[in-house]
Amino acid sequence: MVRRKSTEQESASRPARKRELPLDHYEVPDETTSPKRRRGPNKNNIADTDIGAATAKASSLKALKEVGLVETITDGANGPQSSPQPTPVKKRRGRPPKVKTGEAANVAAASTPLAKRRKNVAATPVKLNGINGVDTPSRRNNADRSARRKSARALIDRVFGGALSDDEDEDGGIAREIYESSEDEEGDQEGQEARDDDQEGPDPTTPSKKRGRPRKAVSARKRSPTPPRDLPPHEQYFYQNKPGLTKTSSNNLSSLDLLTHEEYFSVLRQLKDPHASDVEFLQSLHAESFPQWSFEISQGFSTCLYGYGSKRRLLHQFATYLSERSLSPQQPKVVIVNGYVRTTTIREILSTISNAIDPSYKLVSGNPVVMVQNLLSLLSTTGLTVVLIINSIDAPPLRKAMTQSILAQLAAHTQIRLVCSADTPNFHLLWDSGLRSSFNFAFHDCTTFGSFGTEIDAVDEVHELLGRKARHVGGKEGVTYVLRSLPENAKSLFRLLVSEVLAMMDEGGGITAEGPGIEYRILYNKAVEEFICSSEMAFRTLLKEFHDHQIITSHKDSIGTELLSLPFRKDELEAILEDLMS
Amino acid sequence: MAELEDNTVFQQDDHRAAYIFSAPSSEDQHHHDASSSAARPTKRRRVSSKKDGSKSRQQTAAAAEETAATRSAFTPLFNSESPEAVRLRAESFETAWPVLDARIQHVLREANRNTLDEVTSFIRNAEAETTQIPAGIIITGPNIASQDLLFEQLADTLCKATQARFVRLRSAEAPNLKAALKKIIKDARASGRDDDDDTDDDDETGLSVCKNGRKYLNYDLETLHVALDVNESPRVIVAFQDSEAFDSGLLTDLIALFHSWHDRIRFSVLFGIATSVQLFQARLLKSTARYLYGAQFDVVQAGSVLESVFKSAVAGSQALVRLGPSLLRNLVERQQDQVAGIQVFISSLKYAYMCHFYANPLSMFLTADGHVDRQLLQSEHIQAVRTLGSFKAHVEAAVEARQLNHAQSLLNDDSYLVDQILKQGQRRQDHVMRLLRSLHLITAMGILSTPFTDLYISALAEGISLSSDMFAVVDPIKRLGPDGIISLIRRLVSAIEAGSPELDLPGWESKADELIASLGEIRNEVESLVERTKDNRNPLKSKYGAHSKVLRTTVVAQKVQLSRDTATLTDEDNAFTKAINSLMDILSQHIHCDPAESLFLHEAWLYDSKSPYRDVFIPRLATTFGRALTRPHDYLGCACCGNAGGAVASTLPTTAILYHLYLEAGALINVADLWSAYYASVGDESELGLDERTALVHFYEGLAELRMMGFVRQSKKKADHVAKLKWL
Repeated sequence: MVRRKSTEQESASRPARKRELPLDHYEVPDETTSPKRRRGPNKNNIADTDIGAATAKASSLKALKEVGLVETITDGANGPQSSPQPTPVKKRRGRPPKVKTGEAANVAAASTPLAKRRKNVAATPVKLNGINGVDTPSRRNNADRSARRKSARALIDRVFGGALSDDEDEDGGIAREIYESSEDEEGDQEGQEARDDDQEGPDPTTPSKKRGRPRKAVSARKRSPTPPRDLPPHEQYFYQNKPGLTKTSSNNLSSLDLLTHEEYFSVLRQLKDPHASDVEFLQSLHAESFPQWSFEISQGFSTCLYGYGSKRRLLHQFATYLSERSLSPQQPKVVIVNGYVRTTTIREILSTISNAIDPSYKLVSGNPVVMVQNLLSLLSTTGLTVVLIINSIDAPPLRKAMTQSILAQLAAHTQIRLVCSADTPNFHLLWDSGLRSSFNFAFHDCTTFGSFGTEIDAVDEVHELLGRKARHVGGKEGVTYVLRSLPENAKSLFRLLVSEVLAMMDEGGGITAEGPGIEYRILYNKAVEEFICSSEMAFRTLLKEFHDHQIITSHKDSIGTELLSLPFRKDELEAILEDLMS
Repeated sequence: MAELEDNTVFQQDDHRAAYIFSAPSSEDQHHHDASSSAARPTKRRRVSSKKDGSKSRQQTAAAAEETAATRSAFTPLFNSESPEAVRLRAESFETAWPVLDARIQHVLREANRNTLDEVTSFIRNAEAETTQIPAGIIITGPNIASQDLLFEQLADTLCKATQARFVRLRSAEAPNLKAALKKIIKDARASGRDDDDDTDDDDETGLSVCKNGRKYLNYDLETLHVALDVNESPRVIVAFQDSEAFDSGLLTDLIALFHSWHDRIRFSVLFGIATSVQLFQARLLKSTARYLYGAQFDVVQAGSVLESVFKSAVAGSQALVRLGPSLLRNLVERQQDQVAGIQVFISSLKYAYMCHFYANPLSMFLTADGHVDRQLLQSEHIQAVRTLGSFKAHVEAAVEARQLNHAQSLLNDDSYLVDQILKQGQRRQDHVMRLLRSLHLITAMGILSTPFTDLYISALAEGISLSSDMFAVVDPIKRLGPDGIISLIRRLVSAIEAGSPELDLPGWESKADELIASLGEIRNEVESLVERTKDNRNPLKSKYGAHSKVLRTTVVAQKVQLSRDTATLTDEDNAFTKAINSLMDILSQHIHCDPAESLFLHEAWLYDSKSPYRDVFIPRLATTFGRALTRPHDYLGCACCGNAGGAVASTLPTTAILYHLYLEAGALINVADLWSAYYASVGDESELGLDERTALVHFYEGLAELRMMGFVRQSKKKADHVAKLKWL
């Protein structure tokens, strides 16, 4: 009990001193507070003290600068003046000591000890941070030590070995240097250790045990919550992908009312981009390069625009420029391809080009490889030039190797000029050196900051990203529309499903990432009970119909039971149910 | 108003996969066709380059109409460059590049010549030797970009030499056996005779009707057999361009099939291989490999192809524009360090030419015939010349040399300067000739083992002098014995007489009488000295020769001491030493060249700018995207975001704010937290003060953009979490 009092007193006086602590942490504060034993203050958190003490000896000067550590040391340094009592043996397992310090009367403040102690605990992470800073001082120190040991051995060997030759002498010089340099450093630390030892007196920690401790400290260290600054990207990757580091809060977006398409567009229509004029200006700067680009494509290069922002408008302007500029009787045919449209296929691109060359010509259908050969031979018979402008050449529909190799074949033809834009930061991985040389790209940084309004369906993208809703027919109206074309028992089954899901929502069970899901088996049994279907076969057929229209989703939970869920919000479901009942 | 119209057109087309673009309005189109010289509507001027004055545009347009053939995309520089000057630049480019291009293509074709001959003779002779399928295995190396040319040449040569049908197969074109056979049959039938092929293909039924009236499936080799039957020797060569990419099962099937038809159609196969024959063989079944009668052929190494392309296109005397040393070093290093392929080198070269003529107004001095019309020089040209670094250096040098009049007239007198400028064309040619001749002599010596590319680059950068480190030929020559000296002189003389066809350098013995004469004198003298010392026991030596010094080893008190003793030289030896000295004098007098940048007006013909090359061919995508997202102000230059300086500010574009937050997050990102962090920075309490729904709309946009750019993807680990994908 007495022991605890001393702790309280210590922790009471501590915050004040901490504030006054001078920048140079080695300066010993000249306070003559009550005598205390070295391990007193941190009794509550013995492990920390261990780390502190061990690091004090083992770590380099840099680590010593951490506030927490130095405090421990200064405590120790203060100790000798006023700690006459030898500390009992093995005090480290936080048991209250029996020795009466006698200074209990000196307790100055009667503050609540608990709070203070908490503060003390809260302060510890600072200490820990220091230890796992960017480099690992203790490890470096170990390496230093082993180098020192080796050099010492080399020096000794040399003395005993006698006969020297020149180059050996040089080695000796290095060994001495290593030995002495580490002696300097160790000198400091040994000074500390010596003081500690003085004070700790009967503490039975042997030097060898102290040697061992740094290792323990290293293994016991925790990871810092704040990432080290200014790491190169690859280091950042490894840092952030350390196992166990990916701790995120368990907040989720359930409280937030997600946007619907209608709301998104109605808000968007009223918005005004504050950077609109700057974006416009940036675009006009890029537009000044039009003559250059058209020169490039006329010389057999393909122009590829990359950078953040939509380049669709820029390319459209370029198309306008090209068709206006051309003065020859044979206008180039400009074909624009929108790679971002999800339904883009290479067949459609090829047939559009063929249409542009000769509307009456019928391109063979079938394999795109055959189509492109056919197309190129058609082109060669005419003298036309075709400018192919591809928006987002790296968009998912065009990413297939087959598609890219066909585009490359097109680009390699002398009468076809290719201009394209790319939106992702590593689109160049699409092409191997063979494709690159047939494309013969000239790249230009065209960061436009233009909005991707047309290219991206933001609501769908985000919801897909969150795993909320797959692509589905639009909301309640879509469902009603689909159901109208289905037989009566399909409607009944859907009604059943909706009411079950709503019931689950009310109970709050079965929540998964996709929303509440109902077990396939259970739904089947209920459907049989209500005479919706008589066999599993018929049940499956009905479900398949729903699946095809994407008004239900199915997935397996962790133990493999199949769950069916509806990709709608609760109010939507209620509205649907109302519709179905009426 | 027109803008609005455009937009409506836009909207419809934006959601179509592909469409034919038509010019915005028909009225404009009509006007365009008429192409009258009337003033253009303002709208059009806005679209075009801002630099153009409308007047010069009209003139350019008129000029372009006159010469539709040389119409080009060149824009007037200086804001007011005359259309003639613009046209001159364009024409210079259009004459300069094709010459080089033809030479390069020639070099590339020549490089494959040996391989072609070997393959041809193998295919021709193999049939007599064996009943197996002849298989030429061509090791093309990893660079698939250069394969096309090789196989094209193979097709040409083999068709001519062996009267065979040649079919090229690429793995992409032949995904399965049926497709491969269809392609083989189709191409083989097409490649033989193109016009009187009277069979009909019907793609829809998959049947071909041959002239004997029977119908075959279009993947039945019988079709081919019937079609080829008219020939005496139906021979088909099938080339697998990228053998490694073919499915090994497909290869096995095809080879087995070829073998079973071998008695009716004589198949031969060629394999292009990037790795090694062993690896290729390991992929085939043993039974399949037995059908093949293989031989291996190597293609010329990429390094030597580069060297010959370099010699003819960069160093050769026909190269009008000289590429500067730092750009060249960059190009060559890229060839060596990365598997970029020779094609990349060629397009970089072309791009350098394009840049030079397109963007440098002074390139008009660089006409093919070296003659510039004085009238074309505008005051801007003269002013531009006066700002050149080389002009400054030239004037300073003139002042140093006390040619004050010259210096003063350069500065003040325009017509004097024009005279000087016009003289520079000749100077340039002289310099190039001197450079090439010196280099040719040095390489002809056969002493240096440095590759020609390195020699050329350092010659451009630092000039040539025999004393420099790069051209360290002095010591090796001095150490040569009499025979070595004689053969060296012979080599030099023959180099002068023959010139270098690779460099496009004709012999110049008529201009080098003096040099040849003095070389001859030295040779005669050395020969006579050799004659005189023939009977002597000691061979002729100079004081530089290694054997004239004796290395003496003495062991004193367990230490080794080395000492050199100079052997005594006879009179003949001294004479020989003298001959060597005079040879060195002559050589260092003739093999000499100034660095290119020391010449006045070198800017007109030396192109040494790395930045367009780097930006255009080696884009730094991560940096570009990272910069745009972390520091949008760099691009937007807006008033609001300038103070942020790389930190988050509420005025930044949404995606940029999200990207900042993204950078701070770990590998797994909680979208709810991301949203609240975002809302905190733009929401009610910030300066911007967006309400929640508006902020959410922005948030959606930004997140969708991040996803589209591949920064995040859905994570199944936790609800409402996304995984980080990029560390730029």
